[in-house]
Amino acid sequence: MEMLRIEHIVKQYQGHTALNDISITTKKGEIFGLLGPNGAGKTSLIRIINQITGPDSGKIYLEGREIKRSDIEHIGYLPEERGLYKKMKVREQAMYFARLKGLTKSDAKKKIEYWFEKFDITTWYDKKVEELSKGMAQKIQFIITVLHEPKLLILDEPFSGFDPINADLLRKEILQLKEQGTSIMLSTHNMTSVEEICDSIALIDKAKLVLNGSLKDVKSQFRTHTYAIQFKGMMFGFANALWADFALTNSFQLDDDHAVAHVKLLKGNTLNNLLQQVMPVVEIEAVHEVMPTMNDIFIRAVQGEKGGQHE
Amino acid sequence: MSKIGLIIAREYSTRVRKRAFIVLTVLVPILVVGLMFLAMWLGMEEKKHVKVLISDPRNLCDERIFIGVDEKNPPATFYFYQDYLDSLDFVSRQDMQEFDVLIALSPTVITNKKIRGYYREEPSSDAKDYIRDKLELRLEEYFALDKGISLEEYRQIRQRMDFQLKGLDDNEESEIRDKAQAIGLMFSIFIFIFITVYAAQVMRGVIEEKTSRVVEIIVSSVKPMELMMGKILAVGLVGLTQFLIWVILITILMVGLQTFVFKDILTPENWQGINDQAVAMNQITTGMETAEVRNQWAEVFFEFMNWPLLITMFLFYFIGGYLLYASLFAMIGSAVDSETDTQQLMFPVMLPLMFTYVVSVMIQGNSDGATAVWLSQVPFSSPIIMLQRIAAGTVSIWEVILSLFLLTVTFIITTYLAGKIYRVGILMYGKKSTWKELIKWMRQA
Repeated sequence: MEMLRIEHIVKQYQGHTALNDISITTKKGEIFGLLGPNGAGKTSLIRIINQITGPDSGKIYLEGREIKRSDIEHIGYLPEERGLYKKMKVREQAMYFARLKGLTKSDAKKKIEYWFEKFDITTWYDKKVEELSKGMAQKIQFIITVLHEPKLLILDEPFSGFDPINADLLRKEILQLKEQGTSIMLSTHNMTSVEEICDSIALIDKAKLVLNGSLKDVKSQFRTHTYAIQFKGMMFGFANALWADFALTNSFQLDDDHAVAHVKLLKGNTLNNLLQQVMPVVEIEAVHEVMPTMNDIFIRAVQGEKGGQHE
Repeated sequence: MSKIGLIIAREYSTRVRKRAFIVLTVLVPILVVGLMFLAMWLGMEEKKHVKVLISDPRNLCDERIFIGVDEKNPPATFYFYQDYLDSLDFVSRQDMQEFDVLIALSPTVITNKKIRGYYREEPSSDAKDYIRDKLELRLEEYFALDKGISLEEYRQIRQRMDFQLKGLDDNEESEIRDKAQAIGLMFSIFIFIFITVYAAQVMRGVIEEKTSRVVEIIVSSVKPMELMMGKILAVGLVGLTQFLIWVILITILMVGLQTFVFKDILTPENWQGINDQAVAMNQITTGMETAEVRNQWAEVFFEFMNWPLLITMFLFYFIGGYLLYASLFAMIGSAVDSETDTQQLMFPVMLPLMFTYVVSVMIQGNSDGATAVWLSQVPFSSPIIMLQRIAAGTVSIWEVILSLFLLTVTFIITTYLAGKIYRVGILMYGKKSTWKELIKWMRQA
C-alpha cells in the first residue's frame, strides 16, 4: 500500500532549480530515508509535502488521493531547525500546537499526559522552554510532532542535537511508531541510522533524484561482488592461488595462521569458482559477501554524479 | 475554535499577561490622573490668601474696595496706606512684612494709567486677576466721579470696539472650531503613538517567531496568511484592550477622586490647566479677553465637542490605520533575521507616518484647508488627520465615508501584498533583505 506518491515535482527559486522532476513513492508503515548532501533540495521537498510552499509543477498523493490542505492534520513535521516559543510554558505550548493540528482540548490533554508520562517528564509541565536544556527542548519538540498521531511523520535530521542515550531513546520511539503503523520519512546525513532503521531510501543530489528503492535493492545495486574469506593457512599461498579472474582487494592477518582476505570476483566468476581455486591451498573457516555501507553508497552516488557532469 | 482563533487566543493571552503590559496599563491612568490632580492640588495650594497693601498717597480709593456679596472666600484682602511706598520699603520695613503684595498707586495713575505692584511670592493667577479686577473697578468709580458722569456712562465710553476681521467663509464658530481641532490633535497624536507602538510589536513578534525557528512548525499547521492576520488582530485587540482599560480606569479614578477628595474639581472653572494652556496658546494678556477665552474652552470641551462621535471615529481610524501599518511592519519583520536589520526597510514605512504627524501640528487652525482636506483622504495619513477635522466639525459625512472606504481598500491591498512577502520571508534566512529583494519575493509568491 502506498503512503505518499510524489510525481514529477519541480520547484524553482529565482533562477535556481531546487527540485528537478522528482518522483518518489513510499509505502505505508515503512521508514523512508530521504538522503542527500546539504542544499540538495530535501528541505524544499519536505516543505512541499507539508504544504508550506507549493510546487511549480507536479503532484503529491497521500494514500492514493491528491493531497489537500486539510491533510496537514495527518502529517507530523519535525523541522531540522528546531524552535519553540521560549517564554511559553511547556504544557501550554504542547496544547497550542496539538490544537493547531486539529485536536480537541480534551484529546490534546490526554495525549500530552500520555507522552509526558512515557518520557517521564511531567515535572516539566510548567517550565518555560528557555529554562530547558537543548536536549530537553528536543524531546518536547518530538512530542509535539507526534501528539496528534499523524499517519505520516516527517523527521528532518531527528538525531542531531541528541546525546547517545537520548538518540537511542528516539530511535526506539521511531521504531515503535512504525510498528503501530505510522509511515515515517526521515531526512538525515547520519548513514548509520539509515542502515539501522530505514526500509527504503531516496537520494537527491543537485535537485535530482539519484537513487531510489528499498535499502536491500540499493545496496545490491552497489554491490561489488567482493567476498570476505576467513581461512587457516598462509596468506602467501592464498594469494598465489588466485588467478587473473579474481582480485585481492584487502587482506589482514588475524593471528599467526589465521587471516581474512577480501576478494573481488571478475569476469563473471562465481563464489563457487573462487572457493574451488583456494580450497586446495587453505582451510576455509567463514565466507560472507562484503556489502557496501550506506556511507560508501552515498559518497559514490554523489561523486559519481559529479564525475558524470564533467564528461 | 478555528486556527486563526487559536492564534489570536495565544498571541492575545501571552501579551496581556506580560508584566510590561500590566504595568503600563495600570500605571498610565494613575499617572495621567495623578498628574492632573497634582497640578490642580498645587493650583489649590497656590490659592492661599494674599494680603495686598495699596500705597495710595492721594487716597484715590478712599480706603474702599468693593467686595461682592457672593464672594465668601476671596483670594485677597486689601489694606491701604496713605503715603508713598516703593519696593525698597516693601522689602526692608518691618511693618511691611505681613503683606504679600504691594500695589504702588502713584498719583500719576490718573493721567498715565500705570499701576505697578510687587509680590514676595508669586500669587496664583486667580489672585492676580482678582486684585487687578477689583482695583480697576474701584478706579473706574473714581474716574467717573471725577468727570462727573455715572459709572455706566464711563464704562460705555471706555468699552473697546469688538472688531473682528473675518474671511468670507468664516462664521461665528470658526474660533471654537480651531479649539476643537486642537483637542482633535490629541487624538492624532494618540493614534500616531498607538500605530507606531503596536505595529512595532507585531514586527517584533514576527522576528521572534522567525529567529526562534518556531515559525516552520506553525506554518506546517496553518497558512502563513492566517498566522500573520492572527498576530495582527491579536496585537490590535491588545491595543484596544489597553485603551479600554485606560478609559475605564481614568473614569473610575476621576470620579472616585472627585467624590472623595476634590469635590468641585471637575467644574469647568477649576480647570486651571486648560485655562493656562488657553492663555499661552492665544497669547492673550488682558484680563477681560482671558476670561472670554476661558469660557470658550469650557464651551468647546463641554458643549461643542461631539465626544461619542469622536470616540467612535477614533476607533474606526485607529483600527484602519493600525491594520494598514501593522501588515507593513509584519512584512518587514518577516524579511529580516534580527531587529537591527529593520532600519533600512522601516524608513519608507515610517516616513508617511512621521510626515503626517508633523503636518497634523502644522494644520492647526486650518482644518478645512487644502492640506487637511487631501491628507484626510490619503489612507496613509487619514487616520491621523481626519480626527482633527471631525473634532473641528468641518467635515461632511461623505468625506468621512470616502476616507474610510479608501482606508479599507488600501489596507486590504497592502495586507494582501505584505502577506505574499511574509510567506516567502519567514522561511528565508541569511538573505540581505532590500526592497528590491522584497519585490522579487512578492512576484515569486
